[in-house]
Amino acid sequence: MDVVLSENQTLLQQATRRFVEQEHPVVQTRRLADAKAAFPAETWTQCAAQGWVALFVPEQHGGMAGEAEGAVDAAIVAEELGRQVFAGPFASNAVAAFAIANAGSDAQRAQFLPGLASGEMQAAWCFAGTGPQAGLEPGALTVSDNRFSGSAGFVENGANAGLLLVTARDGQGLSQFVIPADHPGVSVEPLRSLDLGRGYATVRFDGVSVDNGALLGQSGAPGGNFERQLQLALVLQCAETIGLIDRAFEFTLEWVRQRHAFGRPIGSFQALKHRLADHTAEFEAAKAAVAYAAKAVHSSASDAAIAVSIAKSQCGKQGVEIIRDCVQMHGGIGLTWEHDLHFYLRRAVANQSLLGTPAMHHERIAALAGL
Amino acid sequence: MTLATCEDRDTDELRAFRLKAREWMAGRLPPRIPGQPYMDWTDKELVAADRRTQRILWDGGLAGITVPKEYGGLGLTRQHETVFGEEAAPYRLAWHLGNNYNIVQPVLLAHGTEEQKHKYIPRMLNGDHIWAQMTSEPSGGSDLFGLITRAEKRGDKWYINGSKIWTTGGEDSDMGLCLARTDPTLPKHQGLTMFMVEMHQPGMTVRPLTLVNGTQDFCQEFLDDVEASEDNIVGEINGGWAVATTQLAAERSATSRGWYIGVGASLPRERIEIASHPVKLAHELGLAETQRARQIVGEVIALEALRELVAQRASKGIDAGTLPPTTGGVASLASSTLNQRASELMTELAGPCGVTGPADGGEPEQGMDRVWLFRIGGGSAEMLRNTISERHLGLPREPGPGKDVPFNQLRTNAAS
Ligand SMILES: Cc1cc2nc3c(=O)[nH]c(=O)nc-3n(C[C@H](O)[C@H](O)[C@H](O)COP(=O)(O)OP(=O)(O)OC[C@H]3O[C@@H](n4cnc5c(N)ncnc54)[C@H](O)[C@@H]3O)c2cc1C
Repeated sequence: MDVVLSENQTLLQQATRRFVEQEHPVVQTRRLADAKAAFPAETWTQCAAQGWVALFVPEQHGGMAGEAEGAVDAAIVAEELGRQVFAGPFASNAVAAFAIANAGSDAQRAQFLPGLASGEMQAAWCFAGTGPQAGLEPGALTVSDNRFSGSAGFVENGANAGLLLVTARDGQGLSQFVIPADHPGVSVEPLRSLDLGRGYATVRFDGVSVDNGALLGQSGAPGGNFERQLQLALVLQCAETIGLIDRAFEFTLEWVRQRHAFGRPIGSFQALKHRLADHTAEFEAAKAAVAYAAKAVHSSASDAAIAVSIAKSQCGKQGVEIIRDCVQMHGGIGLTWEHDLHFYLRRAVANQSLLGTPAMHHERIAALAGL
Repeated sequence: MTLATCEDRDTDELRAFRLKAREWMAGRLPPRIPGQPYMDWTDKELVAADRRTQRILWDGGLAGITVPKEYGGLGLTRQHETVFGEEAAPYRLAWHLGNNYNIVQPVLLAHGTEEQKHKYIPRMLNGDHIWAQMTSEPSGGSDLFGLITRAEKRGDKWYINGSKIWTTGGEDSDMGLCLARTDPTLPKHQGLTMFMVEMHQPGMTVRPLTLVNGTQDFCQEFLDDVEASEDNIVGEINGGWAVATTQLAAERSATSRGWYIGVGASLPRERIEIASHPVKLAHELGLAETQRARQIVGEVIALEALRELVAQRASKGIDAGTLPPTTGGVASLASSTLNQRASELMTELAGPCGVTGPADGGEPEQGMDRVWLFRIGGGSAEMLRNTISERHLGLPREPGPGKDVPFNQLRTNAAS
């Protein structure tokens, strides 16, 4: 994260690291993967009790948004979760809480925020279509007369969420709804995921009809709410990738110092040293971009949109590149199921490909630059 | 892009200094011309103009801002220097004298005798002297302390023989900081001595070298019994290693701070700057609607922004003490790698139009970048990677001959 943190942020970082290392180390993700089990709902409430989702929830609804620096603090949490390839549904719930806190009616806020903050309620965010070009733009779902249809792809936590935040296109712009997942006409099809610690689903809406109470904010809004949610989701995804690289790099450094070949530590071979130096440089640039983006998103700065895409460009490409090379430097052991590295690499690859590939973000940057 | 100035945070004293600088420079200093290179030693008139500029600053009491008063400076703080840089933004400063303020002043302040400081520093500040760094040799630059130029004492004089190369501005310099081997029977780091030599003297032949981009910014010197007196030695005899270490640190710190004073590398930007050159090129080439071109443009913008962000992060973290000082080298490597990637992409964007152009135009730009953009000066990228892996990451050194082997038993590139 940023090189200068407030005292509260340092405490948040330390407490989160301790909690995740003790309660949810990467071996837990491995156990869930081996058992092909979902992240248990009651375990998520224990995690939420740490106040992670509450960062976006106002005090009156059981949160602590007033004392928090929203996206910046959440990025601190996401980075720590990345260090252990945490399997719980942080980002989807954080984005939903952020969306409802910002755009929801009083009734919606009172109805959903306390449950999201405490973890008793879980949400998923449906906006992207299906297919290789999907992931960044909303648009596959359409709505008219409060009836919507279409398929949302790549929905994180889609199979476990009780609540769906749905973004759909109408005649004028984007409309968002909050509906229960068991609403008539909604069907959820879990997907098999490369990331063994995180589930995705396709959520189909078959002429789902909702009443006005389900509408979040205005109908046909110009998309500013959606854009801000997307920015937050990207900050969390990139911060998580920073955590993945950080930890993978840490144990790779340890490994190259200890592992010997030809009578010397492999970390004394220049071929490895130079690659590690290069990764350090690229990683530093990634950290700089994510710290900047988190601040920009929190303060709704005019360059927040471009900042998150720059962060995604660097984290997406380098996250995979660096961790892939960490595996390489481990030799045979790095390719075993027993070694944790593949969990890191799988998550990094998933993060690279979801919410817009780096190439899609490059196109977005060009458009934002007026091309 | 908004550049933050510190004006609204000035103390009374800084404010007074700001106004003094503003008033003195107005109408006296040459304007900063966009696109004009910071340094071009082929342009003798520009070099001469820079000397005059330095003299004007000296006359106005604005030279040597952080240099102690007793050596002709102003004895002020880094903040004053920042204020000066902000006020100097409209002008061209004496950038050909960069070695003076970035390298030689800190070296003399740390290792020079009182007499040396009194004698040389004022003449650096008033534009009389331009200094060169004579460190690299034809036999090698990376292995700096393996140099083979010899200095011997005969009577009460020292005589230097050998050759130096890649000396930026060698031909136009008046003085050179020259590291030479004074005792080859000692291990390589221990037998070196730092000399201040006059560049225009019998025995010194200076020959300009032409670089791939056509400029003649560098020289090779042939030293044939070049003379130096005992007073010209900086630091101890056979203690040149310590002096050169300060010199290298000064170079690194100047590079990360921004070599050209007043060119604002250290001023924090408040918002991400969107690089306009890729957007412009895509329009010029009629590629604005092409998907691959749009991807390239976006990626180049990202890479340029990342260079700025990583530099800012490093300096903020080092200042705050949350990142180790070695992060400066990390940011520097990041910057050159990101730059390299951006240049590759610009070449791809331009395609054949990057390597050809109208007969009456300049050198084709995008392709030329690929020919020109290497990271050698100030230490090669490989040496930087060595430093980062060993000092920043704490990895073991490559095995080599023991530190105690006398230099004359090591294999070098000496012509035999
Ligand atoms: C713009 C510019 C300005 C310069 N200005 C000056 C100046 O004012 N004064 C001055 O004295 N010099 C100056 N130099 C010289 C510069 O410092 C040297 O060129 C540089 O140190 C490399 O030395 P070399 O050219 O002898 O290459 P070598 O040292 O022979 O290196 C050749 C190649 O081998 C690699 N290499 C060498 N050792 C190692 C190692 N241990 N591990 C991995 N790779 C290695 C290098 O990285 C390089 O790729 C300047 C150079 C440039 C380009």
